[in-house]
Amino acid sequence: MDQARSAMVIYLRAGSELRLKLNPDVDYYTRRVETAEGRTFRDILKDIGLDPAFVAFAYSEEKMFSLGGVPREGQSITLQPPVSGG
Amino acid sequence: MSDERRRYLRQLTLSGWDQERLDKSCVLVAGVGGLGSASSLYLAAAGVGRLRLCDADRVEISDLNRQVLFSMSSLGKPKVEEAARRLAGLNPETSVEIFEERLTGENIDRLAAECDIIVDGMDNMEGRFVLNGYSVRKGIPYVYGAVHGWEGMAALIHPPETGCLSCLIPSIPPRPESPVPVAGFVPGAIGLIQAAEALKQLMNLGGALAGRLLIYDGRSMSFDLVAWGRNPGCPVCGSP
Repeated sequence: MDQARSAMVIYLRAGSELRLKLNPDVDYYTRRVETAEGRTFRDILKDIGLDPAFVAFAYSEEKMFSLGGVPREGQSITLQPPVSGG
Repeated sequence: MSDERRRYLRQLTLSGWDQERLDKSCVLVAGVGGLGSASSLYLAAAGVGRLRLCDADRVEISDLNRQVLFSMSSLGKPKVEEAARRLAGLNPETSVEIFEERLTGENIDRLAAECDIIVDGMDNMEGRFVLNGYSVRKGIPYVYGAVHGWEGMAALIHPPETGCLSCLIPSIPPRPESPVPVAGFVPGAIGLIQAAEALKQLMNLGGALAGRLLIYDGRSMSFDLVAWGRNPGCPVCGSP
C-alpha cells in the first residue's frame, strides 16, 4: 500500500454467498475497510483477501460501480456474486 | 355479463389496462421451477392469451418448498404437464403449450417463435445467456430473474433501449457445485415482479425495470434499484 496516500474508510456490503467471504464486522452484511485514497476497488478487494472473480457486479448509490473504480472516503459499495437460481 | 368479463372485472377498470392486447399475446416462460411457478400463475390469472412453457425436469419433493404450481400428487411427473394442468384449472381461457425440453441455443428459435416476450425461469446462467442472445437478436423483451438464498433480482432487458445481460455479467460464471439454497418465498416474490413487468410491457404501459435492476433481500426486506446501461463494447449487443 502506498504510505504517502491518505488513509480512508469505506464500507463493503454483501449478501448471499459473498457475505461469508467478506467477513462482515459492522452488521450482518457490512465490513468496514481501511484503505488508502486512490486505490482501485479491485485492489481493495484483493487487499482484504476477496478474489474479485467472485464479484459479478457491484453498485453504490443506485449506480453500478466498476472493479476499476476508485472509492471515496465513507462510500458504501454493495457486492453481488453471480446469481443463477430459479 | 359474460364469464370472461366477470373473471377480469377487478382489473378491467385499471387505467391503461388492455385486456384485448393480453388476449392476443404469447409469452414464453422458460423454466417452470420457483420463478416460473409464480410468474406463470399470475400471467394466466391476468388472461395472457398464450403461455408457452418449457422445462425438461420432473417434480421432486425438494421442489415443493417453492414451486407452488405442484403438489404431492405431482411427484415424478413432468413439470410442464403438471403446470399446464394447474394453469388450466385457474384459467381455461389461457392456451398453454408445453415443451418438455431443456432450452438450448439449438431450440430457442423454435420455442420462442411468435412470442411477444420471454420470462426467465431458468436455473442456470447458460440458459439465461441463450435467452439474452435471442432477445438481442430478435428485439424481443426479456424479463430477467434470478434467486439465491434470501435474495433475488429482476430486470427488463430490451436492447437497444436497455443494456443486455452480457452488459451486466460479461462472462458465464462457473456453475455452483451444490444445489442453490433458496428461501421458498424469494422466487415467489421475484416471479410476481417478473409477471408484473411482462404484463405492463405487453399492454404498452412501459417497464419500470427497463434499464434498472431490482435487488430484493427477503431477510432485511429491502429493495435496491440500480441503474445499468448498455456497454458499447458488449460482445452481444454492443456496436459492431
